[in-house]
Amino acid sequence: MMGGRTYGSKLAAGVTATVALTLLSVVTSVAGLIIVVNAKDSAITAASQDLVRVERAGRVLEARLADFRGYLVYGTAEYAERTAAERTQLRSEFSTLRSSLSSGAANLLTEVEAAEERWAGAVEQVMARRASQDTNVDAAQLNEEIAVPLREALETSLAKLTTQVQADVASARKKSSQRAAQAIGLIIGLGVITVISAIVVAWRLSTNLRREVGAAVGHIQSSSAQLEAAASQQVTGGRDQASAMSEITTTISELLITSRQIADSAQRVSKIAEETEAAARSGDATIDQTRASMAAIRAQVDQIVQHMLALGEKSQQIGLVVDLVSELAEQTNILAINATIEASGAGEWGRRFAVVAEEIRKLADRTAASAKEIRALIEDVRGAVNTTVMATEIGAKAVDAGARQFDDATNSFREIVQLVSTTNDATREIELSTKQQTTAVEQVNVAASDTARVSRETEASAVQTKQTATHLSTLSGDLLELVGTGRR
Amino acid sequence: MTGPISTAQSVADRVAGLRTDFDTSFAEPARTLDGETVELLAIGAGGRPYALRLDQASGVHPDRPVTALPTTLRALLGVAGFAGAVVPVYDLAALLGHAVTQQPRWLVLTAGTPSLALAFHELDHHLRVPVSDVIDDGGRKGYLRGVVRLPDGNRPIIDVPATRALVHQLAGHPYPQEESR
Repeated sequence: MMGGRTYGSKLAAGVTATVALTLLSVVTSVAGLIIVVNAKDSAITAASQDLVRVERAGRVLEARLADFRGYLVYGTAEYAERTAAERTQLRSEFSTLRSSLSSGAANLLTEVEAAEERWAGAVEQVMARRASQDTNVDAAQLNEEIAVPLREALETSLAKLTTQVQADVASARKKSSQRAAQAIGLIIGLGVITVISAIVVAWRLSTNLRREVGAAVGHIQSSSAQLEAAASQQVTGGRDQASAMSEITTTISELLITSRQIADSAQRVSKIAEETEAAARSGDATIDQTRASMAAIRAQVDQIVQHMLALGEKSQQIGLVVDLVSELAEQTNILAINATIEASGAGEWGRRFAVVAEEIRKLADRTAASAKEIRALIEDVRGAVNTTVMATEIGAKAVDAGARQFDDATNSFREIVQLVSTTNDATREIELSTKQQTTAVEQVNVAASDTARVSRETEASAVQTKQTATHLSTLSGDLLELVGTGRR
Repeated sequence: MTGPISTAQSVADRVAGLRTDFDTSFAEPARTLDGETVELLAIGAGGRPYALRLDQASGVHPDRPVTALPTTLRALLGVAGFAGAVVPVYDLAALLGHAVTQQPRWLVLTAGTPSLALAFHELDHHLRVPVSDVIDDGGRKGYLRGVVRLPDGNRPIIDVPATRALVHQLAGHPYPQEESR
């Protein structure tokens, strides 16, 4: 019924129910008291008014009887008037009494009034007899004869009325006492209900308190244990962090020194790059001079090639001439051979001519040998010329290739100049960046020092947290004992 | 650097020697060739060295035009004109049984009749050797007869009459009467 509500709402509902039942008890008690009071008031009224008025009517009757007797004794008018007045008072008492009497008593009152009427007639007769005589003997006798029985009857009726009224009063008192008993029973019942309700509410609240608060305190206890463990870890972590931060601070200090060295190196590199750029720019003129020299070498090589080709042609012409000489030598040799053949058939003169032919043939042989030597020399020259031309052409190609390579080298050199310029700019940027980096590292150093300090403070806070968690765990155990679960 | 100078010097010495020899030759008494020597012509045919007796030849001619003839003889190159006479030309290398590699340049007109021209490839030189250097074993071996000893090696000597006889035999003619000069 109370599931899902908070413990405060349950407490408020229980207290509200208890207070409502208490209020109901109070209201019921007040109502019962009022009823009982009214009943008692009516009983008291009956006792005090009716009984008093009956008694007062008796006393008036007694007084009238006394005055009547006085009149009988003395016969004065005073007693007669007082008897008449007292009769008027008695009638008035009777009429007043009638308004508050019950029906039974009223009937008895009617009888009393009738008896009184009769007694009054007798009294008037007696009084009239007294008035007519000077003595009271006759009257007393008459009185004895007619009035006394009537008076006794009246007194009897009055006594009956008194008894009736007393009975009525007792009845009213009994009735009021019953009302009071009823009210007391009702109040007691409501009180019992209220007490039971309060006990139930208290039991339920106690059970809920034990269960929910016990569970909550159990959670608090486990949480505080976890918090304590976490705080222990945080203490260890904070200590490690503090030591690590001090190492970091040391490392950053070394890094700062290195950054300053790098900044100095970058400055030196920048200066060297500027000098390199200046030297590279001065190298441009040297490059132009070298290029002109290479062009001149190329022209000289071309001239050498031309001269060598001309030399080759000349040697070829010499070869042709040598061929001619060889041909002449061969023809001379053939002529000499044929002359020898002819001379062999010409006798003695022929033999002498054969000697001359022999000499001619030897000369032709020598000429052929010399021509052969010249041819060999010419071949050597031509080979040398060809080799030289080839070497020169290779040299020319090498010069061309060298010129191209030199152009490439020149372009590369100019690119190098541009790159050196770029490098110079980059080096300046590096220098500037390194200075900024040094400043940043200094700031990082300060921040690391702050962080180390914060780590130590965190460690102290973690110690404090651990102590607080321990305290909280103890308090949770105490609270569990207070709640009644009792487990620590 | 001394090479050319020494070469020039040696050439100058040679020129001076030649001039001296030439001048002294006019001062020498007239002399004749004696019979103790043999005139030979060193030739090359089919890539082999041979020798030819000069007294068996009547003339040496280079680059003489040869008119080819329709023939089944491999050695017959054709005919050529010599002083108004038409002479058959035979390849000496083919006759000697060598492979004919190229056209021979030289022709030697043999002595004797009938006229015959032998073609060969190389004319090495003309030489005169003592008779003792010619070894004649006396017997004929085909076209060759004897060997001459030379400083550059021995050369077989071609026998021209035997060659003519064999050529006539190849041509289907009767063996001619040998004539000696």
